[in-house]
Amino acid sequence: MTSTTTEIISTKVNPGVIPHLHIWEWHIPLYLFLGGIAGGLLVITSIMIVLKRRFGIGPQDEGDGCPCLAVRIGSILSPALLGIGMIFLFLDLANKFYVWAFYTTIQPTSPMSAGSWILLAFFPLAILQAMLVNKKFLRGLNIPIVSKLIDWTEDHLTIVALLNAHIGVGIGIYTGILLSFFSARPLWASSILGMLFLVSGISSAAALMLLFAPDREKPVYSMIDANAIWIELVVVGLFVLGGITGPANSSGAMMHLIAGDTQMAGMSYMLWFWGIFVALGLVIPLLLEFLEAAGVHIRFPQVAPVLVLIGGLVLRFLIVFAGQTYHTFM
Amino acid sequence: MAKQKNYGMVIDTRVCVGCSACVYACKSENSVPDGYCRDWVIQETNGTFPKLRMENRSERCQHCANAPCVTYCPTGASHYAEDGTVQINRSRCTGCKACIAACPYDARYVHPKGFVDKCSLCKHRTEQGLETACVSVCPTKSLNLVDLNEHEGTAQQMMNGKEVYRQKEHAGTNPSLYWISASNKPGA
Repeated sequence: MTSTTTEIISTKVNPGVIPHLHIWEWHIPLYLFLGGIAGGLLVITSIMIVLKRRFGIGPQDEGDGCPCLAVRIGSILSPALLGIGMIFLFLDLANKFYVWAFYTTIQPTSPMSAGSWILLAFFPLAILQAMLVNKKFLRGLNIPIVSKLIDWTEDHLTIVALLNAHIGVGIGIYTGILLSFFSARPLWASSILGMLFLVSGISSAAALMLLFAPDREKPVYSMIDANAIWIELVVVGLFVLGGITGPANSSGAMMHLIAGDTQMAGMSYMLWFWGIFVALGLVIPLLLEFLEAAGVHIRFPQVAPVLVLIGGLVLRFLIVFAGQTYHTFM
Repeated sequence: MAKQKNYGMVIDTRVCVGCSACVYACKSENSVPDGYCRDWVIQETNGTFPKLRMENRSERCQHCANAPCVTYCPTGASHYAEDGTVQINRSRCTGCKACIAACPYDARYVHPKGFVDKCSLCKHRTEQGLETACVSVCPTKSLNLVDLNEHEGTAQQMMNGKEVYRQKEHAGTNPSLYWISASNKPGA
């Protein structure tokens, strides 16, 4: 049987839309990466604070109500990285002078509207937590208003941390939801994308903390990272399976990602996905951290966390790019 | 009070010759920048040689009744107008491009000036009782502006007894553009 053919000739020319969507470049993946780490850092530091204060679990406190070093640095980095991420979001806007329009309305059906408000709501409590865990240092600066704020709130650090743990999860999931509501883009239209970006954000955050934590605190973050990578491997598996077993739109888009020969920076999506993201970014660091936990001496312990961070970044770039280069919902 | 309008289009692909007059009329009427278009012409050929079937059609924003661009717009810049069309308020558009990603018809683009742009179904003309620029120049009457609220109106009369389709209805968008298929028998 001869198959029927379809030939389409079109006069449509719009740049950024033809021949395929090309509206988001490096700004958005970078923001998603930084936002994921910011959310992950907030989740980890908040939970560490609650565990230590309520159950006495975790590395030794610094004293005077200040947690261990990694929690203190992580608490500062979280709002700082999100702030940097938001600069990239702003740079991506094509009509920058109208950025205020986000904050004169609430559009209940728009994830991006919800997100723009969540991003604002994130800062007060995240910054408060960063201040409270570093209160010894801040008090030393003798700034009256800062000292007063610390006096008012220092007894409630556990509650602040509990709230922040939830806000952190919200930010982490939001970075995925942002894309997954676009049913016109088959690769993104997967509800597990929010979960994937959340666990990837948590593992990247743990990897970052592993890099700057002092040696005696490292095992905790290594354990968090290894667990997050495990969960991420499962979620990646579900994301891929959900795609390839789905209808034509989803399976085609997933194959475009995991077996596609479209190039990103001179290498095919397939190699990026399996070689860099899955193998280098998940499997190898997981093995390294297992070996380390089992007592094997790893000569360069920084390798595993750096690979995790690279994997997290590559994941965001891959998803954002492959989602655009695949054809629109048919 | 006059009944509210709900503008749409009935596009008769049987008589479309693919001349692109609609595209150039739109470009000139709406000052569409060079290298961009709000409407475009598709020539689709289907079948197995020698039994081939060809359809010409003029395409544009579908002015969906359930428009993903409006749903997704974070600022309310993309909105439903009272005449049933989907419009963009340029003074609220941040250029975030969410609407472009949301549109299953790829009908939108970023205007070089920063805001997102697309077919407005010539709202500035219909408000004055005129037809859209594309409809007014169509030499074969393939393009027809219709009021879908008009019971048993022009739209119904044009489509009755013919094979008519809408694009990507399964996207749940409830589009307002109807195509009379070129596969209708002559004289149908």
